[in-house]
Amino acid sequence: MDKFVVNIIHRPEMVPEYSATVTGQGKEEDIGDKALITESLDIFKTQQRLAHENGLKCTIQMTYAALFNDEAVELAKHDHDEFGDEIALSLLGLPCEEFREKYKTKDFCIWMFSMEDKKRIVNDVFEKFHDCFGFYPESTGSYYMDAELTNYIKEKYPSVKCAVATCWEEGPKAYHTCNNSWYTLFDGGPWAPWIPSKQNTHAPAANAGEDSGIVAIPHLSRDLIACYDGNGSNFGTHPQNVLRGMIYDTKTWEYPYLYNLIDQYRDLEKYNDGYSYNMMFVGPGWMNKMGRWEQPYELLLKSYTDGCKYYGELKKQGKLVDMTMSEFADYYREKKKVNEGNYNVPECAPWRDILYGSDKQLFWYCDPYMRACVNMDQGGAIVDLRPYVAKLNWPVGIGTPHVQDASYPFLIQEKYRAGYFTHYAGAGTVRSAKLSTGGEEVDLCLCPTHMHFSEEVIDGVKNRIITLDPIEIEFAKTTVKLQTKEYFAEGASNIRIERNILDITGEPAEIYLDEYITACYGTTEYPEDMTGITLAVEGAEMQKLSYEYKCRDLKSDAAGMVSATVPQINTKVSLSVKDPVPGYVEEGYAFSPMFKLGFKKTIEKGEVFGTWLNLEKAN
Amino acid sequence: MAQLGKGKLNYRCPSCFMRDLDIDMFLDKKTGIYSCIRCQFRGDEKKILEWNEKVRERYGDMYKRFTKFDFD
Repeated sequence: MDKFVVNIIHRPEMVPEYSATVTGQGKEEDIGDKALITESLDIFKTQQRLAHENGLKCTIQMTYAALFNDEAVELAKHDHDEFGDEIALSLLGLPCEEFREKYKTKDFCIWMFSMEDKKRIVNDVFEKFHDCFGFYPESTGSYYMDAELTNYIKEKYPSVKCAVATCWEEGPKAYHTCNNSWYTLFDGGPWAPWIPSKQNTHAPAANAGEDSGIVAIPHLSRDLIACYDGNGSNFGTHPQNVLRGMIYDTKTWEYPYLYNLIDQYRDLEKYNDGYSYNMMFVGPGWMNKMGRWEQPYELLLKSYTDGCKYYGELKKQGKLVDMTMSEFADYYREKKKVNEGNYNVPECAPWRDILYGSDKQLFWYCDPYMRACVNMDQGGAIVDLRPYVAKLNWPVGIGTPHVQDASYPFLIQEKYRAGYFTHYAGAGTVRSAKLSTGGEEVDLCLCPTHMHFSEEVIDGVKNRIITLDPIEIEFAKTTVKLQTKEYFAEGASNIRIERNILDITGEPAEIYLDEYITACYGTTEYPEDMTGITLAVEGAEMQKLSYEYKCRDLKSDAAGMVSATVPQINTKVSLSVKDPVPGYVEEGYAFSPMFKLGFKKTIEKGEVFGTWLNLEKAN
Repeated sequence: MAQLGKGKLNYRCPSCFMRDLDIDMFLDKKTGIYSCIRCQFRGDEKKILEWNEKVRERYGDMYKRFTKFDFD
């Protein structure tokens, strides 16, 4: 049976985020403000009521502050008994008088504390939870949970099996949107539930040895086009996020976009063995009685009411299953075949624009070895690539090299590192191909098309395949009809890109196909030091160069592999072919801090030319 | 009174919003003019609401209900 699973999560937050800087503007901070606490609890009660009225089960994530509030504790117990809600523990919502008094800090993001403090806080909140409820929680979470934190929690409190562990593409874009004052920098994770590895939260576990023991869920289900290019907090299954984006009719207070977003997620069951997922998690600060930004309280309330109502109607129609977080963790391990020992079942998401009025389409792919984004509007170019295979050890928080930056590094990120288009000089990151003849050149990045999804077992391995609609590239005297197919073999840590030369018409000509990847590494828009990256061409002999920004290249007439080893992120990335063809590598320069790997050969009508993009862990 | 404050609703700067910046504006209660403290936008409630509609122009499918998400 196909399943669209929904987790509805509420947290009784006594001092909601934004309360001090937004609704409390013009007043001195009072973290123990009784009126604020009462209002906060009222909002939590309203959220619970709306979910239950629509027949939806919730997960109540108790905050540290809520554990000191008898009414909040009793409410949780009541709703657990009456509605089957799960009582869980959030590591959000730490700020309160008790926390400030004990830890002497205004920090509130668990992943940013020192490891010593993380342990102290975890011990403190989990034991306090036990004091209140007589058991330890099975679910927890924050906006981000670093691997070291999760490993500690799992070791100390093995009952935990589910956690909210990241917020998709909440990184530099969210930071900029908030006037560079919101330090949630954790791009590069999965958009849908996954099993984090013990080494790095973003990177899914590849086997039982890497299994952190929890199922992670993202904080909200985000629009996979709009969030990649814009502010993530405007485009998610958080009804008030849609209002934050001003994506509603001011006269009717209607927001079809919210339902389109939910429905596109429902549609993803076609590509994931009959399973798709949503989560809705709204803190009380977003339903403030004073309104939120341009929206009065009545509109905030309406949007949450409508969100619950829509999920509730889907449930009544048998199109949705509501679960608590811990129930979902069990379901997920079974559904994804992890209980059979297979960690390699990927998450696939063809995603179309549902907001701006274009017909742009992306394909997102995630498994334990990579996260990749293929852009059909750029002829099937790979425009984002995260080498999960490296399982980077990337501790975050005070006392580590990355106090705030928890993002998983990219090799390709078209928004941060230019992609196809650059100004005046240099190159941007992308995996694409160029056709050329007689001095003319066309990059497939300028050939928009659409894709179709299929699955096929090839040599005993299940492949997810995207087949793009054929395109016709017109040169002055010759036309080439080409079709791209991209194969994602389960557990293979590679992507095979096949160019099918369907037809060549017009005057006979020598036509070249240049398959290439331009890449670098980083987590933000700003360049990193490329020194020490090793570029290699493996032909009859091995040629190598060490990156020094000298604009050099290496070539071979018969290369089987061209590669770059990036020690900064323990990753080797390569392109390879079955039978040797001319291959090259290019070093960049200071104004273009990239490297390029490629194969360039002539093509003929009827030819099928395949290249593999391989990712390996490099020590 | 020299200081600016908050109005009844918490208007953001529509000019900054168009460049993906969420910035609250502050109100001069005497004149009814809201100011952005990052850019040069200033305006009364009417102007802000008009500009907010300009913000929405980017959302070409904001009113459309989709029933199909693939191109098969």
